[in-house]
Amino acid sequence: MIPLNRRYEQLIQDLRSELRPQREWAENRGLFLVIGHFLVGVAGGTWLCSLLFELRGGLAVAFCLGVLGGLSHLAFLGRPERFWKMALHVRTSWISRGFWGLSLFLIGGVLYLVPQFLPGAPWRSGSVPAAIGYVVSLIGMVGIIGYMGFVYSSSRAIPFWNSPTHPLLYIAYALRGGMAVLLIILMFEGRSPDATLTAIKVWLVVTTVVVVLYLFEIYGAVSGHNPAARQSVRDLLFGRVAVYFYGGTLLIGILIPAMLVSGFVFPLSMGTLAIIGFASVIGDFFMKYTTIKAGVYMPLYPRVTRQVGH
Amino acid sequence: MRLGMVIDLKRCIGCYGCQIACKAEHGTPPGVFYARVLKREEGQYPNVKQFSLPVLCNHCEEPPCVDVCPTGASFKWSDGIVDIDHDKCVGCRACMMACPYNNRYFNDGNQNYFGDAGSTPFERARAARHPTGVVMKCNFCRDRVRAGKMPACVANCPTVARHFGDLDDPNSEVSRLIKERGGFNLHPEAGTKPSVYYLPA
Repeated sequence: MIPLNRRYEQLIQDLRSELRPQREWAENRGLFLVIGHFLVGVAGGTWLCSLLFELRGGLAVAFCLGVLGGLSHLAFLGRPERFWKMALHVRTSWISRGFWGLSLFLIGGVLYLVPQFLPGAPWRSGSVPAAIGYVVSLIGMVGIIGYMGFVYSSSRAIPFWNSPTHPLLYIAYALRGGMAVLLIILMFEGRSPDATLTAIKVWLVVTTVVVVLYLFEIYGAVSGHNPAARQSVRDLLFGRVAVYFYGGTLLIGILIPAMLVSGFVFPLSMGTLAIIGFASVIGDFFMKYTTIKAGVYMPLYPRVTRQVGH
Repeated sequence: MRLGMVIDLKRCIGCYGCQIACKAEHGTPPGVFYARVLKREEGQYPNVKQFSLPVLCNHCEEPPCVDVCPTGASFKWSDGIVDIDHDKCVGCRACMMACPYNNRYFNDGNQNYFGDAGSTPFERARAARHPTGVVMKCNFCRDRVRAGKMPACVANCPTVARHFGDLDDPNSEVSRLIKERGGFNLHPEAGTKPSVYYLPA
């Protein structure tokens, strides 16, 4: 944590600059928000993939990730003791919708998972409470996979996030995170080669979609006329966030997994798949971190210079 | 009724009087500026121009900060003033990301202006008025306005560059100035319909 007086100096410096970087959602306690969004996104993706691949262990992992993500969100808030008030504005606020999504996911998850892992539970798998839990957790899962991108795209002050591809990118990243966790779990569960092969194919397809959407996002920001969006891309590719982008998002998240999947370096094994999963998940975190940290506020000056001049 | 402000850039001399008056009125902590003056220099000697642009919350007719707030802490009064209920704010800072005018600030913790010397009696008094862990912003000096006074930045502007009144009243001074002098908003493309207008220099 940076001391308050240093943060004050930083703010004064930022206010003097024409293109002011946003720091609230990525630095100091803001890092908890990035971690929270990352964990919740991966939780939603893992839940979906575990249902598709019928992995009970995956569901438990997804639930735990969801709990940790929720706690991380609380750690970010300035007034965490009032967290329940976030349920009140669901009509217009995506954060409020996300709050409901995560709450439903966790409540449904408990109802659905308890009888599967606790033999003496008051209700059984296949009973009405478990079935309700299944449906509620599915609704919650859709909510947590979908809401995050909209939280950013509804931030009108940050043109880099304010793009129509952002929600799609976050959905794709949640699915990629889910598939990556699945690859790790498959190593421990020792599933058949067919299931593993299918998992790696799905991961490849989702990764391709993510890369394409990411390129669209960058192209949209660069080709647009907004100086703040262009500055965000400059920060991402050549500036204050570049180290994390090239090292985390690109190298760990894309290149290493792609190299391992190709089988040129090591033959594909369960261990290799787990490494691919780990690298992919770490890359996903850095993608979120860099995209959020690269956010730059809209400048106030350029459009009015002619009228302001004296 | 829609309260609004008109800032005459021809009269503004960039003296920071509004910023200081606001600080004195609200006792805002370090790092929180309800009113600011942006300055910019362009050109090279001897052809240098300086631009001054006083900024504050634009009290938009369609405020994006109110829409994104998950608790309803950001809200709009019937007179058009956009305000924050600090007892409802959870400090998620979504409103800061939504405001196209960058005029919201997060009060991170109790700070004082004189470092190790500790806080002054004035700072201790104002700290009691400003809860930490929440977002803060200009509210057009709502208490002063309700008492029939002008906002502090308007009352203290030495060049009378600021005007305050009802934008819905076509006969008010603010409406007349906007009409006669071609008042403009910042970021009209954002579609927020700000209640702060600027008159060209």
